[in-house]
Amino acid sequence: MPRLTIDDIEIEVPHGTKVIDAAERLGIMIPRFCYHRGLGSVGACRMCAVKFLQGPFKGLQMSCMIDAQDGMVISTTDAEALDFRRHVIEWLMLNHPHDCPVCDEGGHCLLQDMTVSGGHGMRRFSGEKRTYRDQYLGELVQHEMNRCIHCYRCVRFYREFAGYRDLGALQIAQKVYFGRLADGPLESPFAGNLVDLCPTGVYTDKPARFRARRWDLERGPSLCIHCSLGCNTVAGARYREVLRQEARLNEEVNGYFICDLGRYGFAYAGHPERPRSPRIGSQAVGWQEAVAVACDRLARLGPRSIACLSSARASVETLGTLKYLSKRVGSDHFVCFYDAAVKFKMGEIVSKLDGRTAVSLRDIEKADLLIGVGADPINAAPMLALAMRQAQRAGAKVVMMDPRPLFLPCDFEHLSVSPELFDVCLSALVKSTFDRERVGKHGEAAVTLYDRMLSCDPLDASVQARLEPLIAVVEGCRRPIIICGSDIAPASSVSFAADVALLMGEVKDQSGVFYVLPGANAYGAALFDAANGSSFESVVQEIEDGAIKALIVAESDPFRYVADRDRLQRALNKLELLLVLDYLPSETVRKAHIFLPTRAIFETRSSFINQEGRLQVAEKIHSPGTPIWQVSNKGHPPRLYGTGICGGEPRAAWRVLQQIAHTLVHSQNEISENDPWPVIGGECAVLARHHQHNGPLHGLRIIPQTSTAAFFDGDLDLQPKQPMDGHLTLLPVVSTFATEELASYSEIIQRVIGSPCAYLHSDDAERCGLLDCDRIRIAVDDGFLEIDLTVSDKMARGFLILPRHSRFEWQKLHCFAQGLPVEKIGNCTP
Amino acid sequence: MLKDIDEMLLTSEKKRENLIPILQRIQQRHAYLSPDAMKLVALHLGISSSEVYGVATFYNQFRFHPPGKHQIKVCLGTACHVVGGDIILENFERKLGIKDGETTPDREFSIERVACVGCCALAPVAVVDDVVQACMAPSKVEGILLGFDIERERDEREKQESEASQ
Ligand code: SF4
Ligand code: FES
Ligand code: FES
Repeated sequence: MPRLTIDDIEIEVPHGTKVIDAAERLGIMIPRFCYHRGLGSVGACRMCAVKFLQGPFKGLQMSCMIDAQDGMVISTTDAEALDFRRHVIEWLMLNHPHDCPVCDEGGHCLLQDMTVSGGHGMRRFSGEKRTYRDQYLGELVQHEMNRCIHCYRCVRFYREFAGYRDLGALQIAQKVYFGRLADGPLESPFAGNLVDLCPTGVYTDKPARFRARRWDLERGPSLCIHCSLGCNTVAGARYREVLRQEARLNEEVNGYFICDLGRYGFAYAGHPERPRSPRIGSQAVGWQEAVAVACDRLARLGPRSIACLSSARASVETLGTLKYLSKRVGSDHFVCFYDAAVKFKMGEIVSKLDGRTAVSLRDIEKADLLIGVGADPINAAPMLALAMRQAQRAGAKVVMMDPRPLFLPCDFEHLSVSPELFDVCLSALVKSTFDRERVGKHGEAAVTLYDRMLSCDPLDASVQARLEPLIAVVEGCRRPIIICGSDIAPASSVSFAADVALLMGEVKDQSGVFYVLPGANAYGAALFDAANGSSFESVVQEIEDGAIKALIVAESDPFRYVADRDRLQRALNKLELLLVLDYLPSETVRKAHIFLPTRAIFETRSSFINQEGRLQVAEKIHSPGTPIWQVSNKGHPPRLYGTGICGGEPRAAWRVLQQIAHTLVHSQNEISENDPWPVIGGECAVLARHHQHNGPLHGLRIIPQTSTAAFFDGDLDLQPKQPMDGHLTLLPVVSTFATEELASYSEIIQRVIGSPCAYLHSDDAERCGLLDCDRIRIAVDDGFLEIDLTVSDKMARGFLILPRHSRFEWQKLHCFAQGLPVEKIGNCTP
Repeated sequence: MLKDIDEMLLTSEKKRENLIPILQRIQQRHAYLSPDAMKLVALHLGISSSEVYGVATFYNQFRFHPPGKHQIKVCLGTACHVVGGDIILENFERKLGIKDGETTPDREFSIERVACVGCCALAPVAVVDDVVQACMAPSKVEGILLGFDIERERDEREKQESEASQ
């Protein structure tokens, strides 16, 4: 490791560290514009000049371009360097409009900082400044080109790092312009990162525009809970609502960036219709009364007549305490996943993911082969797509098995096969990499599985021909990773993926499996839910039979997920008590007999476990309360005075649940009023190991080093079923930003999502007499569903792919689970 | 015009490297690159239109507005620059209400800046419809444009008279 001296301080840094980073380690911030650790160096702005006194380089050099080497002696404060930097910043400022008072960047502007630190205090240039026309870039990012200092960070991120092409550098010399060919929304779902990246105010956060200065905000570390990756954010709130979010660096998870859903999806917490006070029937009541009545009614019911529901968006605290309560009241039912198949898959995933196979997004970037099994990164976990692109840029091969017409911002090989063929394809791809002897190390079961793989059915010739060259790639690779989805992938593939990853570990340098899960805390939910035998189906059944009389729903909305809503409605009507705790104005909340308002992620400390089993904590950002602009006109603080905070009633779900449990069973000993963790630990041994006196160990994986689960026991699905003649298989899938529950209550996101659109293979479309861009209608029990059609030949035949879009009632199609007869599809294009 | 470009594209290979030759051919035929033309090229080569525009605007040789009936080229070469070529350019721009590289909405005039037209001794120089105008001054700018105005008015009068006499 090279040792060098910077400003008379010695430091030893890893190989490949740039001098600018080495200095930063010492707390010396060398001014910079174009250099960004996430994007690398280009040496374009000349702002980071320092004087090299000894070593292989001499004189004034750019510290962002030179790797630290042994024996270097560097001065950042040398007169020559100072003078050089002062001139550079003066040149960069020639055309700058000096509009800081009306600029949103002011207060966290790198250009302000660098102008001051660069020593440029007086403007000498009195000529005319260059001006530009700004563009409309959509609802999320505001453009203001006059402030540009041409560091190229934006295009480097947008085009090179993220792989989207609609924004670029235009013109030359004095006129260089960063923008699009014409006004229009930016196409990339990562465009919001321009806001963080731009060192000045060219791209600013549009929804937060003119609403707060940095120093007005209550800022704190938070998490994105819109998908299972758990990207880290910094949330900033003012006047009782979150105004903006920025990406927070986490080397293991999201790196320097987040997707636009993570950045702009927060508005659900300040939804104008968010229910904020406890309610019995339609009557608003005080907390004490609401809890007392709820406890009273629960107490009157016998054991086993209460069921508890939660979901993958609830925090570990909520889930753990609900589980505790459910045990206390003698309930057999605790359900977090409405779909039995998903629940089963989650069980498999949680039991099999261990230290040998779990990988992070950073590992994905370093992989040399990525095999996707029923995963659609852009739609289900956007930042995963960005990590995959980095791998591909570094030379990795990307192979995706998926019936959908996938899009990725990088080159990839797409095998558009039906989910039933995943096992066969994966077997065909990897089997030649193994030999019986190595497989034998993993025991009998592994050998049996290996034999099954060898015997797997021949694929049809076209797929086989595509696989052939890939098999060689699999044999040659050193760091393969399997990326496996959990929605359309069958259960057998989900567990097979882990088996293959484990076997690969035997023959490769590194290997692993990266699951994409259905929800921010799906892993956590599975820890509590998976082991028990009950399912939502059985809960509904027992309500219908009259065995279950009360339902406690904590931060979940069955109406959103359950396909047969009429049946659900009938079942809920039979209940004696529907107790709902939530922070969203959901259908279930409206139907609640007793409603108790809870706090959203920004209002209470809460933990979530991401898809690789990493426990992460989001801090409380602000106290709950109705945002000021909602209680007084034009954002002026209220002119009325009261003793409480308006709308400040919501309490952390875990506190409420604990209080109920406490009242019902009159036991106080193990319950601590201020710490949910003793209770959670009691419910889940894994979590007990990971918590300390003041909360969980943050940022660590809670998975076991070696799982004791039975690997290789899954049955491979090697005999694909023949589809029924004249039928299409319906495939409801996630769609970027439009499926996720919280986002559907976020006004900003609702403004930018596209309209729903179905996909059909061109052969099938021809058979049905449909054309691309047609508007189709599907006959359902009570009328028609209309949707626009896209015809593609990049997808599997025999499927009608439908988005689980918040503006499309896909739930109504549940009657066609066995297949949709083509005559049910009509064309409503004139 | 777009149809013509479409046909032209059919004869060129779909390779990124062909971008500049294609743009050059379009400009040769149609005198400028329209936004639609650039979109067609982008589609043909499978790259984004902002990429085509980015490349095209990088080079001075491409123009994005149809040339006007009268083309005004103002020299900003070293000699002309030194004696205030930029003042001449600015005067033309102000009089016509357009910037260099643009064309007036009535398609009468377009302004371009050029670098040295080879008669530095006459600086500052402007070339108006291929006539070299030596030793330019703001008053001469006015004079030249006034000349065109008078010419146009005369043409119109003659046209009206001939129509009336028919
Ligand atoms: S990738 Fe997922 S977790 Fe990350 S910011 Fe986007 S939605 Fe949030
Ligand atoms: S930061 Fe080093 S040249 Fe820009
Ligand atoms: S510089 Fe203008 S003619 Fe040479």
